[in-house]
Amino acid sequence: MNLIACVKQVPDTEAQIKVKADGSGIEEAGIKWVMNPYDEFGVEEALRLKEKAGGTVTVVSVGPARAMETIRTALAMGAEKGVHITDLDNADAFATASALAAAIKEIPFDLVFCGQRAIDDDSAQVGSILAELLGVPQVTIVTKLEVADNKIKAVKPIEGAQLLIEASMPCVVTAQKGLNEPRYASLPGIMKAKKKPVDVKKAADYGISADFKANVAKMMPPPSRPPGKIIQGDDPAVKAAELVKLLREEAKVI
Amino acid sequence: MAEKFASERNIKFLLYEVFDVASLLQYPYYSEHSVEMFDIITDTSMKIGRDLLKPCLMEMDKEPPEFANGTVKVHPVVRTFMQECGEGGWISSIAPFESGGQQLPHMIDFIPRFIFAAANYSASVYPMLTTEAALLIESFGSEELKNTYVPNMFAGKWQGTMALTEPQAGSSLADIATTAEATDKGYYKMRGQKIFISGSEHNGVDNVVQLLLARIKGAPAGVRGISLFVVPNKRFDEQGTLVPNDVNVTGIYHKLGYKGCPICQLSLGEEDDCRGYLVGEPNKGLGYMFQMMNAARIGIGLGAAAIGSAAYYASLEYSRERPQGRRSTEKDPTIPQVPIIEHADVKRMLLFERAVVEGALSFLMQCSKYSDLKMVLTGEEKEKNALLLDLLTPVAKSYPSEMCVWSVSQGLQCLGGYGYCDEFPLEQYYRDVRIHPIHEGTTGIHGITLLGRNVSIQNGKAFQLYLEEINRAIREAEGFAELKDYASELKDATAKLEKTTSCLLSIAKEKGQDVFLADATLYLELFGIVSIAWQWLLQAIAATRALRNQLTEEDVLFYEGKIYTFRYFFGYELVKIEGLVKRLSRTDGLTVDMKQEHFFDGM
Ligand SMILES: Cc1cc2nc3c(=O)[nH]c(=O)nc-3n(C[C@H](O)[C@H](O)[C@H](O)COP(=O)(O)OP(=O)(O)OC[C@H]3O[C@@H](n4cnc5c(N)ncnc54)[C@H](O)[C@@H]3O)c2cc1C
Repeated sequence: MNLIACVKQVPDTEAQIKVKADGSGIEEAGIKWVMNPYDEFGVEEALRLKEKAGGTVTVVSVGPARAMETIRTALAMGAEKGVHITDLDNADAFATASALAAAIKEIPFDLVFCGQRAIDDDSAQVGSILAELLGVPQVTIVTKLEVADNKIKAVKPIEGAQLLIEASMPCVVTAQKGLNEPRYASLPGIMKAKKKPVDVKKAADYGISADFKANVAKMMPPPSRPPGKIIQGDDPAVKAAELVKLLREEAKVI
Repeated sequence: MAEKFASERNIKFLLYEVFDVASLLQYPYYSEHSVEMFDIITDTSMKIGRDLLKPCLMEMDKEPPEFANGTVKVHPVVRTFMQECGEGGWISSIAPFESGGQQLPHMIDFIPRFIFAAANYSASVYPMLTTEAALLIESFGSEELKNTYVPNMFAGKWQGTMALTEPQAGSSLADIATTAEATDKGYYKMRGQKIFISGSEHNGVDNVVQLLLARIKGAPAGVRGISLFVVPNKRFDEQGTLVPNDVNVTGIYHKLGYKGCPICQLSLGEEDDCRGYLVGEPNKGLGYMFQMMNAARIGIGLGAAAIGSAAYYASLEYSRERPQGRRSTEKDPTIPQVPIIEHADVKRMLLFERAVVEGALSFLMQCSKYSDLKMVLTGEEKEKNALLLDLLTPVAKSYPSEMCVWSVSQGLQCLGGYGYCDEFPLEQYYRDVRIHPIHEGTTGIHGITLLGRNVSIQNGKAFQLYLEEINRAIREAEGFAELKDYASELKDATAKLEKTTSCLLSIAKEKGQDVFLADATLYLELFGIVSIAWQWLLQAIAATRALRNQLTEEDVLFYEGKIYTFRYFFGYELVKIEGLVKRLSRTDGLTVDMKQEHFFDGM
């Protein structure tokens, strides 16, 4: 099976994010970068399928030079090769998906994994656009996956139920927490990763321009939280009634 | 609960900017590696520490191992972690490629060890002991022993231990009494008792392999009659199934801290059916064991620095958040309180922690660099590095062990009453770290080794090499205007160490061994402080050099923070040698003369 895992490098969930004073993005200095956690589920699922049914896993990433460490990490986990598209800084979901699609079209593929979203920009669009550009079915937010007879059976949780979705291959699957427990890279894996091939490409190699359809106009820190309110009084019943009133009328949560 | 337990930034500073680990890549033995991989190793270790080990830290303390039905039940993470370390290649990391290892430089191998120990010291001990025991079999065992034991140990399926201590033979290994009786079947029959043996039986592995010291019947008394054996808790029978080998756990000890790893009392050969397999030649066991002990000693220093690191970050986090009191100049009680980190005395405590922990880690890395150079160099250069490592091992074990007890105590102090309560991890770190001055040779024994043996190795050649190493750092520091004064302070301190050493050596001749060695522990302390000052000077050189470049705001803060901590060490710690030098030069033999009866003060 030819398995593809798309990976994005994002700031560590524990990194302290500061918005740049000019609102053009985040301060990158001192940030620790990691593989997007949802992409890790995708890499892990691809590796498990390969280990069961044979095949190769290719990781594809759009990101600046530092993203190479994330590709190497996926290779250290067990993927065979990588493609790194380097010059699309601040690309929107469409440009990112276009670059991924162009790279993936050059490789035979049966199944493509993306994370259901990236924890940095939270746009949750790349997997879907990618499927459209590749002209294949997509199943998003998958927590369980089976592959047989050139078809996938995927479980996707929805409000109050689960859907079992069948789709023909090739297709795109976006991974959700619960799909698996990603492995840690092993030392022998890390040693081997160094020698595995990574194709470094420019967007222009695929005819993609840096003229994005959507651009982040401004990044602002979240508004500071308004101070809490303490309900005064002696009678608990009166205080509770006041609380209900505030929750309904002011906070509008009930 | 505090999350951060180790600093990747500091680790990378030491690896790349102070010790230039990349310079090792020029040697064929290490040429398969690259800096990019070292970074992934650090990343992966942090991930394992954070996700697998740290979450069990308190649990392993609150639910310590239980002894029942002859076996010891440990926390389930032990099995998971041993498997991870086996499959992930962490146990065999420094073994050569041809033995199934990854030939990792010692300096790099330090990183996962340090990170795992900082995340959860008890858990980190299981794979660490296994590595050291397996490497000992690799070095001195027969092909058959290697094939039977090492692969299972490297795979994390079998635990390795070092079994030396007996009731009457703790510090005094010469008194080991466990016996081994030769048979004509290629094995020895073992009989005796061992106590305090870490990890010597537990359900986190399928078997335990004791690397055990014993005396072959008829062997000479003392250390010249000690041999090394492999004694598995289970052995293979003719059908190839594992059967009990008459190694019996008679109890486990209830300890102050480091509770997640059991130490057992073992009784061997109760049914006259305990088989041991000789490693190497008879009566050379202690010499072989020193390979494992020396590695383990540096490992203990690293474990102490690791717990110190976790305590430092926990106390730092708390001190930034806890509002208490106001600046002494603030007279208005309605003004909000300041976080305690604003108080100079709290900063002093945090600086003490940082100076000790980062100084100790630097010194340990220096020693691991000597291990690496000893590995890759030849001839005189190889010998030089071997001598330095030999000389400094007692210091690498004892300085972090002794001083991290103090630094964790200061961390606890930063939390005030909460430091003493179990909602915060400081009280556990304080208990956990206290083991280090005891096991792997007490501080007292290391003091005696350093003064009584090591400084005189090859007529003091090792000591001279050490002084040259420090002088090299001093000369380099003299090239930076900002560091000149500190360089001369260290020069002065080193001269005092040298003078004290020769004074003590002449006392040995004039007043005998007892007076000479009476204050050996204080000599070790003096030696330790000078060594850590040297390490801080090396770090200050790297930081000063870095500060000449265009840097981000974070980097400027990092390097300036390094310089402050360096100045703290010289200003607050190095000065402590004055009292030590004074005491050590007063060779009145007070503790020798006083008789134990003088402790009499009524019934
Ligand atoms: C948690 C834990 C784990 C351990 N793990 C292991 C293990 O895995 N394997 C193993 O073999 N052992 C292990 N030990 C044993 C440990 O190494 C010994 O406890 C240690 O070496 C000290 O020996 P002892 O307890 O008999 O103390 P003693 O030797 O009785 O020492 C008591 C005190 O007397 C001092 N002293 C003793 N002799 C002298 C001397 N000649 N000159 C000056 N001072 C002296 C010591 O410094 C110490 O302060 C462990 C112990 C503990 C507590």
